[in-house]
Amino acid sequence: MEFILNLIHRPEMVPEYAEKVTGHGKVEDIGRKALLTESLDIFKTQQEIAHKNGLKVTIQMTYASLFNDEAVALAKEHHERYGDEIALSLLGLPCREFREKYKTKDFCIWMFSMEDKKEIVNDVFEKFHERFGFYPESTGSYYMDADLINYIEEKYPMVKCAVATCWEEGPKAYHTCNNSWYTLFDGGPWAPWIPSKQNTHAPAADASEDCGLVAIPHLSRDLIACYDGNGSNFGTHPQNVLRGMIYDTKTWEYTYLYNLIDQYRSLAKYNNGYAYNMMFVGPGWMNKMGRWEAPYELLLKSYEDGCAYYGKLKKEGALLDMTMSEFADYYRKKKRYTEPECALWRDILYGSDKQLFWYCDPYMRACVNMDQGGAIVDLRPYAAKLKWEVGIGTKHVQDASYPFLIQEKYRAGYFTHYAGEGTVRSAKVSCNGEETDLCLCRTKAHFSEEKSEDGVVTRVLTLDPVELEFDGLTVTLQTKEYFEEGSGSIRIERRILEMSDPSAKVEINEYMVACYGTTEYPEDMTGITLACGKDGEEKRISYEYRCREESLAGAAFVSAVIPAIETKVSMTCSAPDAKGYVREGYAFSPMFTLGYQKTMTEKEAISTWLRLEKAN
Amino acid sequence: MAQAGKGKLNYRCPSCFLRDLDIDMFYDKEKDEYYCLRCQYCGSEADVLEKNEMIRFRYRAMAKRFDKFDFD
Repeated sequence: MEFILNLIHRPEMVPEYAEKVTGHGKVEDIGRKALLTESLDIFKTQQEIAHKNGLKVTIQMTYASLFNDEAVALAKEHHERYGDEIALSLLGLPCREFREKYKTKDFCIWMFSMEDKKEIVNDVFEKFHERFGFYPESTGSYYMDADLINYIEEKYPMVKCAVATCWEEGPKAYHTCNNSWYTLFDGGPWAPWIPSKQNTHAPAADASEDCGLVAIPHLSRDLIACYDGNGSNFGTHPQNVLRGMIYDTKTWEYTYLYNLIDQYRSLAKYNNGYAYNMMFVGPGWMNKMGRWEAPYELLLKSYEDGCAYYGKLKKEGALLDMTMSEFADYYRKKKRYTEPECALWRDILYGSDKQLFWYCDPYMRACVNMDQGGAIVDLRPYAAKLKWEVGIGTKHVQDASYPFLIQEKYRAGYFTHYAGEGTVRSAKVSCNGEETDLCLCRTKAHFSEEKSEDGVVTRVLTLDPVELEFDGLTVTLQTKEYFEEGSGSIRIERRILEMSDPSAKVEINEYMVACYGTTEYPEDMTGITLACGKDGEEKRISYEYRCREESLAGAAFVSAVIPAIETKVSMTCSAPDAKGYVREGYAFSPMFTLGYQKTMTEKEAISTWLRLEKAN
Repeated sequence: MAQAGKGKLNYRCPSCFLRDLDIDMFYDKEKDEYYCLRCQYCGSEADVLEKNEMIRFRYRAMAKRFDKFDFD
């Protein structure tokens, strides 16, 4: 088991938040001497805490800090003395020099026009070279779009590692900040990956798609709490935990932070013996004025405690601290392109025992919810490797999220109000006019791997059996979900283990309700084509919100092509006698449904495959 | 009435926090209370602190140390 830590600091001469917070009641002045002095002091404090605990740091120089002789000297000294890596961040652009040169208050690199991105990259990389005599091997921002990464790799191929997304920092974070924080990039990996040249979120499937660097997420996030709520409260960022008020106000204890780190350590079990954490606290979070309810002393204590815990793990031989570039080398040796990242994650905060399974590979990101009987509640079709330009001058100035087909929070999931359906991949079971959905069966899953004779590895989720109660009949059913590496598909097997009346028959309806989008709000479904077919026979529906349905006994496939996201999603079934169907939605329920129905008896099993492909 | 300012700490609105909104409150020194710009919450510092404790009702496992993360 290897647990890797990337600890990152940035000397940000004008920390995010600091000017807003400390400067309340004053006219904005980002060149104030007091602000610059305090910023550098925070950086020094963070460095001291890390080194005191024997931890190596990646120092991400900001553009502003490159104009500060003391910050540059400190970075050089700490590189020599502690082995810290001197890297370059594309965060922290705001400073007097930047504003005078670029005549803008924009500060998020992915939102600039491509022309400006290139100019800024050239500017900061050359300034870095001027100050240090070499180019950086690591860089990053909250998000780095594919065009930006491709440009950096073309111009500065020595860059091997970058912070390239912040997990599920999208509409939820936007709302938390009173709709004023425009970091919209849901749908990416939660753990390191090699981005494809086409889309940063989607991992490369092979060397031809490899963008040239290893990406790491900005922080390691709670895979339940962040998906459900404000991401900025639940990560390996001690002050984020304070932001979430997840601490005892009397004792200043935050047990949750250690549980979070430990749960990440436990993920080695699902990822070939490897687990990862990233901690990156910007200086604005250690402001002398305090941050919201937390006084400076608590902010400081939480950072000291966080580093101390990592330091303790290192001393015990349970943690390897690496710089970002060291990690990139490690990761490239450790992972093959098609190898997925898996996380069977439990609730460690709300006391619910809820369990999710997250899966990410070059073809999809999927979330399976064991509190809903193993339903797929989030699905991103990476197989499409969607080219999605972001920034000024593109169709998506701010929205960098990878589109979903299923998103239970933004598009209802199982529960809807009064009418319509929400996005989910589940199954209904019916008997004599009664019907239930596996979404209503809370269960737990167990992870295993199977290797075929030709060496293909399949990750398997085996769910504890659930009981379905009908009038006079109890059905015990088990679900297994198979993620075959490199296949772009998920096989779901349902097996009826037992029925209280062995001669009884039930009908199973394996279904997927889906749509597409990146936010809570519906997109235009016109242009989507639904089809079911077999042996050259095909029935089609061209989406017009008319609530139509087509079906075919013994269908070889049911499918939907969604041109807006260049995606084809299909289902196939193991039972030749199953009826395949497709359903169009309507204006109040802008969804489509794919499914198979079949009568089942005791001991019988049925498998369906959900497959994702690029549709040109 | 003079304009509002901020208190010694930037208290957030506890009511908005419960709906996943981080909104700084402002301090009305004449009434000696904090108030929210977005919703109708207003209260003394003691009331804010009390509500902040109440907010934690959802973190039932906040103080529990876990040593097992699967259900195997």
